[in-house]
Amino acid sequence: MKTRSKKTRAKLMRRIVIAAAMAAMLLVVVTFAGVFAPNDPYATNAACIRQAPSVTYPCGTDNLGRCVLSRIIYGGRTTIAATFFLVAISFLIGTVIGILCGYYGGMLDRILMRSADVMLSFPQMVVAIAVAGILGGGLKGAMIALGIPMWVGFARLARSHTFSIKHAPYIQTAILAGKSTGYIMRKHILPNILAPILTNALTQIGITMIGLSGLSFLGLGVVPPQAEWGSMINEARAYIQVAPWAVLFPALAIVVTIIVFNYLGDAVMDYRDL
Amino acid sequence: MMEQTMLKIKGLSVSYEERKALQEINLEVTSGKIVCIVGESGAGKSTLLKAITGYRDLTVEAGQIFLGDQEITTRPGAKQNHLLGEAIGVIPQNPAGSFNPIRRYEPQIRETLRSHHMVYERERVIKAFASTGLHHAEEILAQRPYELSGGMNQRVAVAAAMLLEPKLLLCDEPTSALDVNTQDLVMEEFVRINRESGTTILMVTHNLGLAGKIADSIAIMARGKIIEQGEAHAVISAPKEAYTRKLIDDVPKL
Amino acid sequence: MIKKTLGKIAGLLVLLLILSLFVFLLLYIAPGDPAEKRLTSQGVVVTKEVLQAEQERLGLLKPFFVRYGEWLFGVVRGDFGLSFKDDLPVAPKLLQGLKNTTILATTSLVFSLLVSYPLAFISAFRKNRLADHIIRIISFIGNSLPNFLISVLLMYFFCIKANLLPVIADGTAQGLILPVLSLSIPTISRFTRQIRSEMITQLSEDYVTGMRLRGVKERYIALNVIRNSLGHVITIVGLQIGMLMGGSVVIETIFRWPGIGKLVMDSITARDYPVIMGFVLIMGTIYVVINQLTDLCYHLLDPRVRT
Repeated sequence: MKTRSKKTRAKLMRRIVIAAAMAAMLLVVVTFAGVFAPNDPYATNAACIRQAPSVTYPCGTDNLGRCVLSRIIYGGRTTIAATFFLVAISFLIGTVIGILCGYYGGMLDRILMRSADVMLSFPQMVVAIAVAGILGGGLKGAMIALGIPMWVGFARLARSHTFSIKHAPYIQTAILAGKSTGYIMRKHILPNILAPILTNALTQIGITMIGLSGLSFLGLGVVPPQAEWGSMINEARAYIQVAPWAVLFPALAIVVTIIVFNYLGDAVMDYRDL
Repeated sequence: MMEQTMLKIKGLSVSYEERKALQEINLEVTSGKIVCIVGESGAGKSTLLKAITGYRDLTVEAGQIFLGDQEITTRPGAKQNHLLGEAIGVIPQNPAGSFNPIRRYEPQIRETLRSHHMVYERERVIKAFASTGLHHAEEILAQRPYELSGGMNQRVAVAAAMLLEPKLLLCDEPTSALDVNTQDLVMEEFVRINRESGTTILMVTHNLGLAGKIADSIAIMARGKIIEQGEAHAVISAPKEAYTRKLIDDVPKL
Repeated sequence: MIKKTLGKIAGLLVLLLILSLFVFLLLYIAPGDPAEKRLTSQGVVVTKEVLQAEQERLGLLKPFFVRYGEWLFGVVRGDFGLSFKDDLPVAPKLLQGLKNTTILATTSLVFSLLVSYPLAFISAFRKNRLADHIIRIISFIGNSLPNFLISVLLMYFFCIKANLLPVIADGTAQGLILPVLSLSIPTISRFTRQIRSEMITQLSEDYVTGMRLRGVKERYIALNVIRNSLGHVITIVGLQIGMLMGGSVVIETIFRWPGIGKLVMDSITARDYPVIMGFVLIMGTIYVVINQLTDLCYHLLDPRVRT
């Protein structure tokens, strides 16, 4: 069972390409939100409150007469940008700390990894809710709350992989050749441990989106009037009976986005597991 | 008394994950004999055994397998259960791992017997254990595989296989995980089983020297084909193929 | 063995101490002065004298570690301080909420296990067949849905569209259905995925091959696989409890279930810090202790790692 047929490999590759293409499409839409959004997401219009989907408002309007579709597109920009930023920062901090710990070992490693263990010992969402709540809401608070535990995962991953290749001949050779430690870490260690860490980053995207929109839904993340999917749903659920579209379309956006990124993460993971 | 054929393989070709693994295998195993299949790793020996055991992932492209006069080339699940263990005993490559490592032996052996509608009789189990050199059967039955040594577990596996009284015993490199001394002991065990209960043995090994010691006949495999077969002494004293000669030369001489 | 147990207990205590320190620090990361926050949340006009008196009364003028010690001493005796909102002790409120949350979370957990174990079982034993594909797709989607979304959608379809169930979880069994379902759907999906992969690992172990070659009935093989997967599953359950705690905050808020999660959300709005601190402390302690226990169970269930 060690060697899978080429067919499975090609099939998985096709899955990755499809998922990546869909993810790229989402990214294009939210990056050029101004081009794709049919209306101004913040323009209220008392004349057309809670209107059903129409040509002018493809997803209807909310209780301030704002265009739901435009808000979804701009909201997606908030969610996706915040998620990517958060994952990227955690990735950076975690990887650097992980490599340092794995390479040097010793006291530094023990202290940092011990504190990493401690951070993982507490229920993350509970801590995130409390921290975001005490900081008084806002995107920054939510990101800090979600970011604290996330870098730990990256650090542990980077550390264990660095540790396992530390004694590999090519690294020993580089050391003997008198290369600087920084050079070795950049040119020899990083490229060799990057794949599993990047895979982890992909799987973190979906998780972070769920957390971020959840906090916003609770009013602990993005604060209105800024558009964000979780807070849009929270606002609109009060009048879901009269204007279900103001809930259902943002809901659809969340589901589709998270599924696309999770699917991409799963596909890459399966491919690497082969 | 006329010699009966226990196992007959006719023109068997098998593929594994779209690759040809066995080609045109013809093999006959006579009742009560020991037959060894010898070849280097990757020659298809284990695949041949797997084909006989009806391994799911293999696709039979052509040919037939007979056990006695019953065709067993393909078989539905219920028949498979009945066939394996009861008619065909198998000692896998790592026999020491063939029991759940964290459960006691006694319930596991009971499950094995019950699967074949046999009654669990302690006396019989103890006797079977003793015949493979395990003299503290009571203690072993109360222990879990992970608590015992590899050699002990291996003996339990052989004893458990013999409890089901199979007519044919398939062994896949049963001693590869053992040290030389224990290897010899286990091999003597198989010879004794063969002598005492008349069980037919089909054994796969890469060790031609070992095969020469115990086998009645030998088949040499290379690249998914049987390239030479015949009586053991004939194959060893007068090999026809250059490849066989090479294998003979590789046997360490003391 | 005794030495090891003592070490574990010491580790647990250290962890809880760190947790308490973190919780105490929460008060400091909050913007503004605690005494001022307390006064404003009670609607008192803050003058310099009033503030000073309040700071004195709350012991804010003492050194940090003295205050931490006093607070910790109180907490250990079950005194979580007084609410900023109504000056009543926080502990009874937290306990009442905890009781209701436990009902909700335990029901979901049991329900999730009851559903996901069979699903994972079918999926693993029928790997790459139709049933496996369907179960995998459903659990993949379920794993991608945020709790709040499931709650809102369930509420919309069951309560408003079909008018089958009450909108507010009023404490009746009927009222519990939707909150439990909302909490369970992501849990079931995650459990199914994780248990399935553990069972597949088990199925590829030598002992399963050995059993098949002995012609052991599938029924017995299944029992052995389930038996050996238990240790891993308990660990999964322990970790999932953290997710359930976070999820219950969302779901209790939506369905107005009077649990500790709804209490903490109300307290966040009211800036009632002692309740928030108590919430983190209690949830954190439960989580840490449960995961120590699951660790213990794992070692009991898989004696190979006992030594």
